[in-house]
Amino acid sequence: MTEPVPAAPPAPPPRRPFLGLNAERRHILYAMAAAVVVFAVGAAVRPGFASPAGISAVLLVASFVGLVAAGQTFVILIGGIDLSIPAVLNAAAILLVTSTLGDDSRALYGVTLTLAMGAGLGLLNGVGVAILGVPAVIMTLAMNGIVEGLMLGLSGGLTCQACASYAPPVVQAAVHGTVFGLPLALVIWGGIIIVVSIVLSFTTFGRRTYAIGNNAVASHLAGINVPLTTILLYALSGLFAALAGILLVGFGGQASLGMGTPYLFESIAAAVVGGVSILGGRGHYLGVAAGAISLVALTTVLQTLNMPEYGRDILYGVVVIALLLAYGREQDSV
Amino acid sequence: MPPSPPATSAAPQRRTNQVLLRSLAQNFGLVLAWLVLIASIAIYAATYYAQLSALPGSFEITSTVNNTMPLVLTGLGQAIVILTRGLDLSVGGIIDVTNALAALYLGTTLTSVVLGTIGILVVGALLGLVNGALVAIGRLQPIVVTIATLSIYQGLAIMILPQPGGAIPPAFSSILVNSGAPWALVYCGAFALLWMVLRRSRLGVSIYAVGNDPASASANGISVVRTRLIAYVLSGVASAAAGLFLAASATAGDATAGNSYTLTSIVAVVLGGVSLFGGRGSGIGAIAGALLTTMIVNILFFSHVDPLYQSFYEGLFLVVAVVLTMAIGRLVKRRRT
Repeated sequence: MTEPVPAAPPAPPPRRPFLGLNAERRHILYAMAAAVVVFAVGAAVRPGFASPAGISAVLLVASFVGLVAAGQTFVILIGGIDLSIPAVLNAAAILLVTSTLGDDSRALYGVTLTLAMGAGLGLLNGVGVAILGVPAVIMTLAMNGIVEGLMLGLSGGLTCQACASYAPPVVQAAVHGTVFGLPLALVIWGGIIIVVSIVLSFTTFGRRTYAIGNNAVASHLAGINVPLTTILLYALSGLFAALAGILLVGFGGQASLGMGTPYLFESIAAAVVGGVSILGGRGHYLGVAAGAISLVALTTVLQTLNMPEYGRDILYGVVVIALLLAYGREQDSV
Repeated sequence: MPPSPPATSAAPQRRTNQVLLRSLAQNFGLVLAWLVLIASIAIYAATYYAQLSALPGSFEITSTVNNTMPLVLTGLGQAIVILTRGLDLSVGGIIDVTNALAALYLGTTLTSVVLGTIGILVVGALLGLVNGALVAIGRLQPIVVTIATLSIYQGLAIMILPQPGGAIPPAFSSILVNSGAPWALVYCGAFALLWMVLRRSRLGVSIYAVGNDPASASANGISVVRTRLIAYVLSGVASAAAGLFLAASATAGDATAGNSYTLTSIVAVVLGGVSLFGGRGSGIGAIAGALLTTMIVNILFFSHVDPLYQSFYEGLFLVVAVVLTMAIGRLVKRRRT
């Protein structure tokens, strides 16, 4: 489970770890504790906030952030970043409604097509970064522009007739429906939390991801196909953004322009709160999921206190910077 | 680093050629940017002529360059930051804040306008200082820091000016943009001159040194922290000036007016031949890159391309420009070693 720590020369005896946990697992714990604290404060301010219904509502919204953050985490773990998420998510939502036209019989086709588009765009990001050597910020920022332009141009600024369609009832049911009293979207997210955690911690693919994030050159020398892994990770990020787009349009019914915009920053914030090092190589998705929940819970509390929309933007920025200062510092000083 | 010239008795003529060649190779991106800009202006004039059977006149030139001025300013700021191996994604947010402030507080009297302008530039410097302090003193990654401050600044801008509106004193607009002649070209020239001065100043040398190798720069007595701080402050001031210019041409404020500049400022800098890895490039290239970005949009407009596709082409040009400059850079390196 733990990272293979590069064999260090005899080091001074390490400080006794808190509860026998290493720094990374402590961050997961912090993120979870933060979520509990926010819920407790919320319940104190607004009775009923921490009721099962209240918690479930927060978790449902957190699941969208959490899904996008899963892809972002994959990419950040190798020291990259995906700035193309807003456009990919938005394009996915629009593609789903325009390809299905709200018809259940075309839902499977539409969902497959949308996921394939997300993965394909992510793949292009990966090719640009890994093979053409374009810096990740530039590649994904440019991809965001490219997808946004195509999305606006092809849909005529979302004025096309098909653009007004609703998501197929099946997709809407997949978000709003319940199994054993749990919202289906939450069940989907729970499954993804388990799968992503297992993939990252117990598979060779996960090992390779951490290895590249820690040292790409050493990973290459150790026989890892760095470009291939990088491309796959960016493709996964695109896939998760598209999945979030599908669920969001199922949640809201219709697609709109700008629906992906908040998710770029929220996904990065969730990753940072969850203890993922922005320099790569460190962090777990379990922490990110807890980070997504605490951020969404915090926003919800503030909304019940009538904090305006812009307050959230300011607060997220401050929280991220504070956490970065707390544990995101670069080790080497120049 | 260019290889040292052969220490033999080369004829003076040959040496001059070598010096010329080397300086051409070093400034390749800059030269290329200006060549592409000239070509794009020619294409623009041609498409314009094809549409309207006349060449663009003083009015078109004035409005085109005026529209580019905010991008020229942001691009210059972004270039300074990128030269120090940084990145400033918050420029759009700083434009938003300063644009909103301009709409509310410029007033109508001469003193209020002058004081307001200075005050807004100071606000830009302070917002840049926050970025710089977090990156240089806090030792945080520039990308994440400036994404976070972008979110904060955008929120602040909407807090200051919830709805587009406010007023810009007409005199302020007429001085900056409605002067009937392409004065903005003169501003561009002045900025280019200013850049040449900066390039040769102590600060300019520090900026390039830090971008090339922070450790050696530090070993040579350059304060890396201070240089990076100043770079982000300058970027903040440049973005504030862009916000003022944008307010002057729109004659009203909009708290989201600057959002697109985060992408386009990087496009302008990259098209202008500035290396994203720091230490290579020139602000004069960034000016060319900004003008080139506008030219591309104008050419697309006169070629009847739907303006909705604009960000598609901007993104595409960004990737193509980065890939091409890297390929050319690799070629030049191979030729010289």
